[in-house]
Formats: sequence, structure tokens, C-alpha cells
Amino acid sequence: MMEMPARVVGEEKVKIKKSFIKPWMGIKYLFKKPVTIKIPYEKIEPAPKYRGFHTLDWKKCVGCNFCGQICPARAIEMTWIEGEKRPHPKVDYGRCTFCQFCVDVCPTGALGFSENYYLTTGGLEEDLELYDWVPIDPKKMKELNEKFNDYRFPVERIQFNKETREVTYYLRDGSTIQFKILGYGLRPPKPPAKPAAKPAEKNETKPAEKKKEPKAEEKK
Amino acid sequence: MIEVNWKLILETIGILIYATFMGFIFMGIERKAMARIQRRVGPPLWQPIIDTLKLLGKKESVSHGFIYDFGPVFALGATIAALLFIPIANFQLFSTNADLIVVAYLLEVPMLGIMLGAMSSGNPYSAVGVQRGLLTMVAMQLPYGLALIALIQHWGTFKLNEIVALQQAHGWSITVPALLLALIVFDIVFQAFLGLEPFDIITAPAEISMGPMVEYGGKHAALLFTQHAVQLFAETAFFAVLFLGGASNLLELLIKQIVVLFIAIFVASIYPRFTIDQAAKFFWKWPTIIGIIAVLLTM
Repeated sequence: MMEMPARVVGEEKVKIKKSFIKPWMGIKYLFKKPVTIKIPYEKIEPAPKYRGFHTLDWKKCVGCNFCGQICPARAIEMTWIEGEKRPHPKVDYGRCTFCQFCVDVCPTGALGFSENYYLTTGGLEEDLELYDWVPIDPKKMKELNEKFNDYRFPVERIQFNKETREVTYYLRDGSTIQFKILGYGLRPPKPPAKPAAKPAEKNETKPAEKKKEPKAEEKK
Repeated sequence: MIEVNWKLILETIGILIYATFMGFIFMGIERKAMARIQRRVGPPLWQPIIDTLKLLGKKESVSHGFIYDFGPVFALGATIAALLFIPIANFQLFSTNADLIVVAYLLEVPMLGIMLGAMSSGNPYSAVGVQRGLLTMVAMQLPYGLALIALIQHWGTFKLNEIVALQQAHGWSITVPALLLALIVFDIVFQAFLGLEPFDIITAPAEISMGPMVEYGGKHAALLFTQHAVQLFAETAFFAVLFLGGASNLLELLIKQIVVLFIAIFVASIYPRFTIDQAAKFFWKWPTIIGIIAVLLTM
């Protein structure tokens, strides 16, 4: 078998002659327009399928937890919401890597993503609630994007009431989404849709459950 | 009888305020022009003033003892002293028989002041910076001295105001071929004076973190910024007085200073940094040869 010779470009072709004068060519940029994008005043459009925040069609989600299994950062936790038969994924943007594997794996196409990528908060505990959400409906997302068109997180503030376990999303256009989280994990929460006769007991058991269940699930 | 010369005091204060303000604006011009050469927009022109005010507003300022505090003050004092001997337009506040030599060496003292303070911080980075700074200073003395000798021999005087008067009578220094060579030498040394790019071995950003100034923060750093601003003004004015025929009013001086500054910025933004051994070799080779030729031509 004949060996092919490696293609090597001669050194004399690559080596550049040193010069004192040539660096002065750099001065020409002084009179050209800078290529900066002045961010607060000018906008850049992200790519049409830029991987940003998630959207979730609550009607389509069947709670199969495929997204939770494929998530490389374990940022997805199934959440039981009052009034829904199946758990829905809750995405933690503190851990999410925006790989969007969960979107690819979703069998019903309930989980999607938008081009929104801006999310900044202060360091307070109630500000940081914003990083942990059950994604909202894609139609709502689209509507908000058309209204503001600045690619920010659609929710302004998330309020989590620890007593009643009620979550309120204050959207940017002033409307709110309110629901109640009954529990976390794949198994349905212990008192399933019992009348709210003993809310005091619920309060005591739930925070403990919230911490334990995800851990147990992760070990599996 | 001690008579207080109120006019002189007021003029001194006025010149100082003007020099500080314009020095900061020169620093701003430097940043802006460099940004434009790199195709950026750059900060606004008054950014160095904002920086200095912010540094002055810092709550804590670490000190390592008396000499550490004294260094920047000493540097600022020397720069101001140098400034007062330079004929700024029609104000020359102080004058001696040989003020060229006084100014030439007072302009080098600030570097010593900074190094004095930096050495007392005990930081190895400052120590490396000081070593490099002193070697640069030693290396640049020879061409610097030769350029000044050529100038003095041609005009036959040590007095700055006489040099200005002679230039206004017989044409600027740069029109004389021998002094044009001296100007080239002086301009190369000038780059090292200002701490600009081919010879910014002393501070060497990103190489030895910040050189002598690593430990300086807060109010000390604000003082060093102010010192740098005044020094920028004084050095560009000195250059304009020696080679560009001085000036009869502040606007003319300002234009000449900005021309000088822009040449320095251009050189700084296109050439990379020398290592310290290359710088020493360079200073003792080309500028020295050109300087000797200039001196021989003026004899």
C-alpha cells in the first residue's frame, strides 16, 4: 500500500516579514464607524430558534416524566397542581442548562421553548422565587412577546404562599396566573383532593414532604 | 517685609485647576481614541473624572504605613512643581537660570515617588514593577539627555522662556534638521514617560497585574489618577514648548498638546509591548545613535 505524503505548506510561505511601517495601517479604523451595538438603545434579534425559557401546554402534558429523566442537570421536578390529573414539570433555572433535551423528548409536544433569554433579579429570597416555575402556555408567551418584544422572562414576580401553598405568577402585562401546588414527585400527594377540612395538618406535612420526595426520586 | 504676592498665588491655583481638568480630559481622549482604533465606541470623554470621583468616594483605603501614603503625595507634588516651571502660554510662574534641567528631572521624580510608595507595600508584583520601572528609567536617560543636549546646544540657553522666544523669532525647533532628529528621540522617550504601549513595561496590564500600583486602591488610587492627569498635561506642554514653539495663548497650546498626545496614542495603539530587556537594548541602540547624530549636527 502506498503511503500518502502529508501535505505541508512550506515555511517560507507562512512566515511574515517583520515591518515597522505596516502596523500604522491599523490607524485607518480611527475614521471608521465602530462596530459596537449600543445595547440599551439598539436591539439584537436572537436567532429564530434560540433556546430560551420553556413553555408548557398544560392541556397536552401527560405527566410522563420523560423530561425529568433526560434532564442532564436534574432541573425538572414533577409538580402536582390542583385541578390537573397529571403532574406537570417544574423547571429550576438555577440548574437548567438550556440544552432543550426535554423539549425534544416530550412525546406529546407539550413542552416547548421560546426565544426569551433575559432574566435578572436581585438577591432577595422572594426575588429568587422567579427561577423556579411551571412554564406557562405558549400562546400566552407569544402574546407577551408581541406586546413587549424585548425577550425578557414573561413573569415579573412569583409569590409562593407557604401556608396555603398557593402560587401566583404576576405576568408582565399585569394579569396573574394562580394555582395551588399539592405536592412534588411522581406519586400523587397523600391527601388527594380531600376537602380542605384540615389545612393545618397539610401545612405541617407538606414542607417535609417537599424536601424528602425529590431526593428519594433522584436516588432511583 | 514679607509681601504676599496674591496675583501669583491666584495664577498658580488657576493653572493647577486648569491642568488637572485638561489632564483628565487628555486621559479621556486617550481612552476614546484607542477605543476608536479598536473599532469600539469607548467611554465618554469625562470618564476619568468620574473614575477619580468614585475612587475618592470609597469608604476604606488600606494603608501600609507612612511611606506608602507619602509616595503618591510626593509624586503629585513633584509633578505640580514641574508644571509651575513650564511656560504655560504666557504664564510662567517660577523661573530659574536653568529651568529646562529642573523641569526635565522634576518630570521623572513622580515615577520615583510611586515606586517609593509601591516598594513599601511589600507586594512581589510591585517589586517586579519597580525593578522594571527603574531599569526603563536608567535606559531612557541616555537618549533623553542627548535630545536635550542637542536642543540646548542649538538654542544656546537653558531657560524655557528664552527657548520659546527664540523659536518664535527663528521658527520652530522641528524646522531645524538636527532638532528634528532630537524630536524623534524625544518622542520615543516620551512614550516611556507617559507609560504608553511599547514601553508600558512598568504597569504592564495583564502581565504583572498592575505593576507598582497593585496595592493602591481608594483614595491613594484617586491621588495617583490625579497625578497621572497633571503629568500628562505637564509632559505634553513640555514637549510643545521644546519642539513646537510654545504658545502665546492657552488654545494654541491646547492644540499643540493634543497633536502631541495623538501621536503618542497612535504609537501606543499599534505597537505591542517590549519586554524589559528588549526595551533597554532598544533605548541604547537606535534612539542613542540618532541622538548622537543630532548632537554632532548641532556642534
